[in-house]
Amino acid sequence: MSSETSSTLPSSTSRLQRHADWAVYALFIVMVLGAPLVIDDVFWLNRIAKYLVFGMLGIAIALSWGYAGILNLGQGLFFGLGAYMTAMSLKLMSATSLQQGSDKPVPDFMLWNAEPGAVTDLCCINKGSFLWIPFQSQWFGMAMSIVIPLIVAFVLSSSIFRLRVSGVYVAIITLALVLLVRLLLIDAQPITNGFNGLTDLGWLTIGGFEFDPYMVETYYVVAVSLTVVLLLGRWLVSTRAGLILQSTRDDPTRARYLGYDVAAYQIFFFTISAGIAGFAGLLYVVAAEFASPSFMDIGFSISMVVWAAVGGRNSLLGACIGAILINTVEATVSETEIFKEAWKLIIGGIFVLVVLYLPNGLAGIARDLLGRFERRRKGTPAETAPKAAE
Amino acid sequence: MNEALTIDGLTVDFGGFKAVDGFTTVVQKGELRVILGPNGAGKTTLMDLVSGKTASTQGSVHLFGENITNRPEHIIARHGIGRKFQIPSVFRDLTVRQNLEVAASGEPGVFRNLRLHMVAEDRARVEDVIAMTRLEPVLDTVAGELSHGQMQWLELGMLITQQAKVILLDEPTAGMTHAETFRTAEIINEMKGSHTILVVEHDMAFVRKIAERITVMHMGKLLAEGPMEKIETDPKVREAYLGSGGIH
Repeated sequence: MSSETSSTLPSSTSRLQRHADWAVYALFIVMVLGAPLVIDDVFWLNRIAKYLVFGMLGIAIALSWGYAGILNLGQGLFFGLGAYMTAMSLKLMSATSLQQGSDKPVPDFMLWNAEPGAVTDLCCINKGSFLWIPFQSQWFGMAMSIVIPLIVAFVLSSSIFRLRVSGVYVAIITLALVLLVRLLLIDAQPITNGFNGLTDLGWLTIGGFEFDPYMVETYYVVAVSLTVVLLLGRWLVSTRAGLILQSTRDDPTRARYLGYDVAAYQIFFFTISAGIAGFAGLLYVVAAEFASPSFMDIGFSISMVVWAAVGGRNSLLGACIGAILINTVEATVSETEIFKEAWKLIIGGIFVLVVLYLPNGLAGIARDLLGRFERRRKGTPAETAPKAAE
Repeated sequence: MNEALTIDGLTVDFGGFKAVDGFTTVVQKGELRVILGPNGAGKTTLMDLVSGKTASTQGSVHLFGENITNRPEHIIARHGIGRKFQIPSVFRDLTVRQNLEVAASGEPGVFRNLRLHMVAEDRARVEDVIAMTRLEPVLDTVAGELSHGQMQWLELGMLITQQAKVILLDEPTAGMTHAETFRTAEIINEMKGSHTILVVEHDMAFVRKIAERITVMHMGKLLAEGPMEKIETDPKVREAYLGSGGIH
């Protein structure tokens, strides 16, 4: 469903374009890392940290939708899994899990719902509580935030892509799956606290240092993580494998006849994309101090796709900026009473317009402008080194 | 080993209809073989069977002695079969150079390709093919914006870059102008000798320009095989073609 709309994708092989690309990356990274120097308000910093996490989700979407041509309408599944894994560990570190007269941590909601006389220990307070035992290690929870999404995505994509399911059917399957897991999550109330999610979490603690979400240090954890993911993603799509992946998006049959196992490429990048979403879930829990089934709402997964579309799904940075921008505007706008209700309508309208007229989003506009600038410059001979366009 | 492609009793049965029925032929290394036949003779289906798009129900296909019958497409491609489709099939959102670079990769695996640069010999091969197909002026153009002829040449170039040992060409001049057809004949003649080529073609003027040995198919079966002169005078061939408007 992607190849028809992206047929006007501009080539990005000219030198000026590559220089400009790197300049924009550098500028973005400087802005993200330098934000605390300008913004003193820790509440805003915390807010921005959350939007940076959404930016990371934008990168994950661009990787699978833009580069692989796989429209995943259930990315929230991997985000949610990542969030819950870390949240479980942080829940056990919370003061609320230790105040129950036991020296071993037990989540408060398990105690409230325990059968009279049940042993107040993770091993056996209810039937599923033993699953929580390894999460007493914060590092285990954080590792699982990435490992579990990777495993689930690998198993899921292996079955989908080996059977050569493509296009809208992938979207339907992923959409259905996120709903299914959301239901299971809510249904497993004794171990997940169901609809209420996991709240009252402890803070991420590394070497005795506690990362209070409303501290500059926590912002930096998120900002540096985003930078690393962005650069790694950029490297990944620039490799030969990234190019071959794009070829499988354009014409899988041709790629197969050139000797490539198309499914292997799709599985690899789909799984990486899920890993990024899981990592984003981890960071979100660190910054927002809760995990909830709402992460697996359909609306949230679709929002991610909208962010990427507006920012430009064929550009990792474009999709990332799209996510940050839309969320920042949303936060500002929805404080005004009139816009609060109308916002969803506005963003829906923008999405329709982008899909119809700007298939490459904001990043596409930037590239077009640069291309026009370049063509005009080509008329004038003997130019000095190209100035980085911003 | 001089037998490049050995097709033995190949049959496909689509629920009672045998599109290819006990077809047997041997293509020698370096040979250029043209497959002729009226519409519905099973020429394209034969290519589908050889390249793995369709699974055969009987018979076998061997490539330089290795059995490639009914293997997945990418495995057959890795064994050395390259295929050009009737409708040009290139990566439309990638530039011409990127198209050739994708075709050039000697390594099919994902992890082996997690590196930024191409191997020197792959790069050299891309440059050679650029010169041969005269695509130099459009290297940075997105393939979807090429003219029909250029797109066909790019696809041919990709097969050469891929280092296919046996190349299947399905109507390489379909929809081309006279000048483009002439250029295509030139490219194919340049490939002669160094590549083994199997061409399905209707355009007799073009066939005369390139053909050495011709195989005529009819109703999924082999009707005649031999050099151009012999085929043109073969009464069986004339009869088969008369039914659909004669040889032209």
